[in-house]
Amino acid sequence: MSERQPVLTRKDLNRCGRRWCLNVATFNYETQLGASAMFAESKALRKIYPDDDDYQKSLLNQFKYYNTQPYISNLLLSAGLAMEDKESLDALDAVQSLKVGLMGPLAGIGDSIFWVLLPTIFGSLAGYMGQNGNPVGLIIWTALYAVFWLWRLTWWNYGYKLGVDFISNMGAQLNAFTEAASILGLFVVGAMIPSTVVVTTGLSFTYGEVSLALQTDVLDTIFPCMLPALVTWLVYTLLKRGVKMTYIIIGILIISCIGAATGILA
Amino acid sequence: MNIILILVIAFIAGIQYVDSYGPQIFTMNYMIYAVIVGLIMGDPMTGLVVGASIQLMSLGVAALGGSSAPNYGMAAIIATALTISTGQDASVGLAVGVAAGTLGVELDVIVKVLNGFVARKSEEYCKRKEFAKMENILYLGPIMFFLAAAVPTFIVLVFGETVTNFIVNSMPLWFTNGLTIACNMLPVIGMGMLLTYMPTKKYFGFVAIGFVLAAYVGLDVLPVAIIGCAVAYEYYKRSIASANTVAVEGGIGEDE
Repeated sequence: MSERQPVLTRKDLNRCGRRWCLNVATFNYETQLGASAMFAESKALRKIYPDDDDYQKSLLNQFKYYNTQPYISNLLLSAGLAMEDKESLDALDAVQSLKVGLMGPLAGIGDSIFWVLLPTIFGSLAGYMGQNGNPVGLIIWTALYAVFWLWRLTWWNYGYKLGVDFISNMGAQLNAFTEAASILGLFVVGAMIPSTVVVTTGLSFTYGEVSLALQTDVLDTIFPCMLPALVTWLVYTLLKRGVKMTYIIIGILIISCIGAATGILA
Repeated sequence: MNIILILVIAFIAGIQYVDSYGPQIFTMNYMIYAVIVGLIMGDPMTGLVVGASIQLMSLGVAALGGSSAPNYGMAAIIATALTISTGQDASVGLAVGVAAGTLGVELDVIVKVLNGFVARKSEEYCKRKEFAKMENILYLGPIMFFLAAAVPTFIVLVFGETVTNFIVNSMPLWFTNGLTIACNMLPVIGMGMLLTYMPTKKYFGFVAIGFVLAAYVGLDVLPVAIIGCAVAYEYYKRSIASANTVAVEGGIGEDE
């Protein structure tokens, strides 16, 4: 088989990282991120394949259906690119099966860490401080993410160097980490329910001279934040049953107006 | 608001959307855009507070696997601009912003359908070996996403001030009070979404502990997160250790 001298340098790989910034912006329902994967690698592939016919074959391979979490994708695509750089067209099938085989599991890990857990923790800290007029949380989040982004641009080097074996093993090792991360996430969600979700009732009962406010005198003494907990449970159940988010938002608007008109909610 | 200011804000809304789909420098950080709009309009503090409300509403709502979520960035930008320009209570600006952001989902779907034509065209160019065209046509994707946020923001801001003042001045009290209540309650969507992504059934106890620490003990989120880190670390150590034991035992069992 045609073993050849790899041609890609650090500069080419960083260029791929920058071009991958096109990312989800080409998302479509048929091939999802396929076109973006092609776009990110096209300059590097041109260097590997000076011949137009070879170049075209490799590009058409990249156009195929592809979707995973964009950050992790830096590592997966560059591992595939390393294979092509070593074995050129002979690697096309292997590159395709690498992408298809790993995009699912890596998306699961990437989504839960980068798109759910981190934005929730940073967002809640920045949000609470911000509500009280304190910008510190926001500044920390923004600065850390700007640095993180610059670092991410260089991730193609890691995937290229560490190669296919590492990427394949990473999935298994990260499983324990993901599980631990969801434990942390659940702690945080539990703690956020009382402070983010604000639902109080304005009902009060009057017996002669004595007036009893349902919220402050009854609910708060037995079970503080009982109403937020109930509403959260209700929305969670609705979402689990597949009720659309838009309907729930509209429902909350209607119930709030009825509650305000009748004085049940305050 | 004068037309130039509106154009600038619409431009920021477009950039926000392109970043959220492209480079993702400020992934899901909607507050920063609210603060930028606030700075431009001379009131960053309102931007911070309004942006924080949107941020808390959005927690946990992520467009995973190519699904569409409300455009919270646009919501934060519109809400900030309207709150500052009308000087009204933030809840009305927030309601208009969230409504626009929720309708943004429909535009998101349309752009993703149109992107299908773009990707197919690009592949066609590749088959004809017109490689430069093949690459350049893909820039239509970010351009369309830019417009999908900038155009609605422009329209809402041109009419928004009148609409907002109209809502505040002519709507009955139950409606404006209802909006305030709804704004306070809406973060529940994010909490519910988060619970559906995570293994809530498996580890319900941890949700309960976090809740009790905040609701009864009155701890802030940060100390609870630190306790959560400690528990997660212990879990991680144990599961790695047990995975290694299993691996070693398996290795002995399979000795050939």
